[in-house]
Amino acid sequence: MLLTLLHKELLLEFRQRYALSGIVLYVFSMVFVVYIASIKVNAQVWNVLFWLIVLFASINAVVKSFVQESGSRQLYYYQIADPSMLLLAKIIYNTLLLLTLSALSFGAYSLVAGNPVKDMPLFCLTVALGSVGFSIAFTFIASIAAKANNSATLMAILSFPVILPILLTLIRLSQIALRLMQDTSYQRDIINLLAIDAILLTLTFVLFPFIWKD
Amino acid sequence: MWWKTLSVLLVLYSLAVGMFVPLKPGIAYVSPETARSGDTLRLTLHGYNTYYTRSRAEDIRAWLQYDSSKAILGQNLKVLNDTILEATFQLPADLPRPSPSVMVNAILDHPSDGVSLLPSAVELVRDTANFPAQRVAGGSWTESPVQNLHIIKDLSFPYRNVIYESIRNTFYHVPMWFALMFLFAASVIYSVMFLLGKKLDYDRKASALAEAGLLFGIMGLVTGMLWANYTWGAPWSNDIKQLMTAVLLLIYLAYFILRRSFDEPEKGARLSAVYNIFAFASLIPLLYIVPRMFASLHPGSTGNPAFGSEDLDNTMRLVFYPAILGFTGIGFWLAQLRTRAKRVEDRMTGLD
Repeated sequence: MLLTLLHKELLLEFRQRYALSGIVLYVFSMVFVVYIASIKVNAQVWNVLFWLIVLFASINAVVKSFVQESGSRQLYYYQIADPSMLLLAKIIYNTLLLLTLSALSFGAYSLVAGNPVKDMPLFCLTVALGSVGFSIAFTFIASIAAKANNSATLMAILSFPVILPILLTLIRLSQIALRLMQDTSYQRDIINLLAIDAILLTLTFVLFPFIWKD
Repeated sequence: MWWKTLSVLLVLYSLAVGMFVPLKPGIAYVSPETARSGDTLRLTLHGYNTYYTRSRAEDIRAWLQYDSSKAILGQNLKVLNDTILEATFQLPADLPRPSPSVMVNAILDHPSDGVSLLPSAVELVRDTANFPAQRVAGGSWTESPVQNLHIIKDLSFPYRNVIYESIRNTFYHVPMWFALMFLFAASVIYSVMFLLGKKLDYDRKASALAEAGLLFGIMGLVTGMLWANYTWGAPWSNDIKQLMTAVLLLIYLAYFILRRSFDEPEKGARLSAVYNIFAFASLIPLLYIVPRMFASLHPGSTGNPAFGSEDLDNTMRLVFYPAILGFTGIGFWLAQLRTRAKRVEDRMTGLD
């Protein structure tokens, strides 16, 4: 069931190619603004800008998860499938989307602003953990925001405070990967991040049944 | 209702007692602040809230203390007035530790004022030029340890350097956060009850409790900024605790915006209840995980003394715990009034 739903999401994406191409354009314009605005990007600025690009691109990518299909079609899905499976499929799909997006951003960004990453495995792990965390939090918030009248504004307002602990931990981890700070016990940060993800995921599953019913 | 009267009385009690009980006598500063080993040091101690003239100078004792066993006793004590006192210290030729300099605490024992202490009052510098010649002169570190102190038990708050009189803010700043946590927790409980029971009244209670909690959060932030202005030098210094508090308030502001963005009241109530639970759970990383990753000036963070049992003495407990109960009670009373107002509003607009 999960695989079918995931397949549906991917197929939808592949057929429309609306989300991905739009997002790619978004990432490139962001990167270009960074390029023309700042002549010299040092590692500290590079790090913060990278996460800002990924953050805004992620919000824009996930916000459409629940609005691109009409309400009646979603109701149909909820009747034929388990709603929490549907949510899980969306989370997995968004994780894949955000991973692609981060990789694209990283490629484009390091092309114009250079690549100061010293510890590549740690950086990749950070980006992967970030995609998972963003995907869980944003998918859930998107499911709430989609029910309201002004979903795009609401998405930003609702998700920023919730995402902040994850974002701060990510920036800290990637600072270590960029050798901007020394910390031998960064494993603790990774565990913190996994713990936050676990809390959010559990809550998402408990609370989603109350969201989809209208 | 009895608990509303009690809360008002407790808050009035904490305001009266917290503001009017004096601080214990303390040493504000000493001069000079540095001395060389082997010297004869004539030290002037400036007291705060002290009545030095109430005892004879012979009964007052002063020490420069390094640790529990190493201290120098002052001689020729002279009381100039209630707040200024002089004492002579024969500094030993050697420092208690093989290092270029050590910091020693000033301790004063007064029969009627009790004990006062100034941590790291004087820096003793090793006299390298005259070191071998002066070795025989001066006193010793172990002859006169600090003992037989006059511990005075009376109604007064501890005197602490850096915070001084602002220690009273403990009774108002900290209870705000206790009240906030109780109110937000109650709000989440009502949100859960709404999701399970679907009674619109539970949702009114949840949002009223969150409103009251937000008010206490703003008051906690403001009292914290007052305190920060006094002790840290600026009301806002982008300390991680301040930032996380601002984010906490943002989460609940987002909750109120969410409440207003639905046409159907039941749908709005349901989704804001879900967000309330989600937001409360995300407070755990915000308040307990993130602040530990960054340096902070706030007590209880890494590198700072924890706000623990040693920071509260028994006199402070007499005000602190009633203040928590009082402010929490006022918070629940506010929430109850807001609930009733919402009920009336809904009845007038015909929603219920």
